Amino acid sequence: MKITIKETQEKLRKGEITVEDILSEFFARTKERNEEINAFLSVFDKTLNDIKSKDKNLPLYGAFFSVKDNILIKGERCSAGSRLLDHYIAPFDATVIRKIKEKGGVFIGKGNLDEFAMGSSTENSAFGPTRNPIDSERVPGGSSGGTAAAVADGMCNAGLGSDTGGSIRQPAAFCGVVGFKPTYGTVSRSGVMSMASSFDQVGPITNSVEDAETIFNAICGKDENDSVTSDLIRKKVKKDLKVGIPKEYFVEGMEEGVKEAIEKAIEKVEKAGIKVEEVSLPHTEYALPAYEIIMASEVSANLARYDGIRYGLEFDRPVAKTIKDAYLENRGEGFGKEAKRRIILGTYALSAGYYDAYYIKAQKIRSLIADDFKKVFQEVDALITPATPTLPFKIGEKVEDPLSMHLSDIFTVTANLAGLPAMCLPCGKKDKFYVGAQVLTDRFHEDTLFHLAKKLEEIWKQ
Amino acid sequence: MNKKEVEKLAFFARIKLDDEELKNVPGEVDSILKYIQKLSNANTENVESLFHFPELKNVVRKDEAKTIDREVQKRMMAMGKDKDDYLRVEAIL
Repeated sequence: MKITIKETQEKLRKGEITVEDILSEFFARTKERNEEINAFLSVFDKTLNDIKSKDKNLPLYGAFFSVKDNILIKGERCSAGSRLLDHYIAPFDATVIRKIKEKGGVFIGKGNLDEFAMGSSTENSAFGPTRNPIDSERVPGGSSGGTAAAVADGMCNAGLGSDTGGSIRQPAAFCGVVGFKPTYGTVSRSGVMSMASSFDQVGPITNSVEDAETIFNAICGKDENDSVTSDLIRKKVKKDLKVGIPKEYFVEGMEEGVKEAIEKAIEKVEKAGIKVEEVSLPHTEYALPAYEIIMASEVSANLARYDGIRYGLEFDRPVAKTIKDAYLENRGEGFGKEAKRRIILGTYALSAGYYDAYYIKAQKIRSLIADDFKKVFQEVDALITPATPTLPFKIGEKVEDPLSMHLSDIFTVTANLAGLPAMCLPCGKKDKFYVGAQVLTDRFHEDTLFHLAKKLEEIWKQ
Repeated sequence: MNKKEVEKLAFFARIKLDDEELKNVPGEVDSILKYIQKLSNANTENVESLFHFPELKNVVRKDEAKTIDREVQKRMMAMGKDKDDYLRVEAIL
């Protein structure tokens, strides 16, 4: 049943439904669809008991979550979509999970993902790809593809994902739901498996902008276990908002149907009386290559901890003689193709002789990109861009061509490089598929983003 | 990038690659490296690297030993081959 958290809460309050009713609907839908869609890697059996113990007045009472399987829930398996963590049981709750529990939310199960959150299609999961609920021959996007598909298909009414280069927003766009990556540092990553730590953020995947705001408000805030977190600095929402359209985001190679839908959506925004003007972010073309280097470098360091020793792994083969051989064999057998490629690329970029040419160069570009945004946000209050250059592609279409797969994130990586909040939401349709638009604001201006996105949601629904 | 270089990098990263991977990975990594070369066109003279954002300050806590929940400790140890609260690994030397 596709329903927002807010609608669920209203129905529960009025007594139109009970928690048993709604939960059995979600479970029935999951049972009917999960075999084909593969959105959930695990489904819990304690959800009803959990919700019965919650206070009905809590802000997330009535929110039933799919949680991406790289976020720890105590006592539950957390695989990260990897063979290396097939048997790993989380020993504690991630800070975001503790906060959701305290605020009344419950969990339906864990969402499928690209291995260690690395991919744009959820095909890199060791446990099989997730399929797009709109067309099962196509990908749901990634890496939070399982969670986006579960929310879009009515197997739950809330999702929690992680976003390093677009992993919340791109699958939300492909599945026709709302995905929000908050300002870097506003949400704790303690208990979330690190991919590229200077980009990683946790955020909601929902059926409405208001639901995304509700979840964000419940999970944000400083945490002593994540050293870059800050309490949210609330910025005032201006009365008349001015929106910029960055011309560099309308690139060659964008699928015609996507381009048309976005242009039409922008026309609707103008017609609704919102001031729109063209702006320029001149260093945009360097964003994806800079992202590739920094991301791979941080990945190669962060994934060093997966040695097949500390987090459980049982391969059916003779025990290695030395620890070096154990590392080589465990990691060789445990990691999938994409993880290996990224670790090798990162190891290369960080090695002596290449460090300045790649890593330092990329960090300087990152600075230029952040400056572009800084300048543009002196002229306008928010930006609207396309979310993805294409509609959902076919399963298998890009899996052998890593570069074309990575190009899927070309519009989303900039927000991670500059630490900005960014939301993708549906703005139109091409045939049966939704086309996503992305809304960005300056760092810590989430209130402006939510205010504008709610307006846009109304405008684009008509 | 050739097969030998990839083999060396994979060894640094402690990943054993099989023959098929050794054949395919060089080309795959090359296609990304070629794309990355684009960066050399960007003028970064007098540009500072961006390593962190100005609004964020390091969250610090006291450097002191904490007793963690016995249950959490037990769950953590249960993931590896343990012996009296230590993880057991293969020979190091």
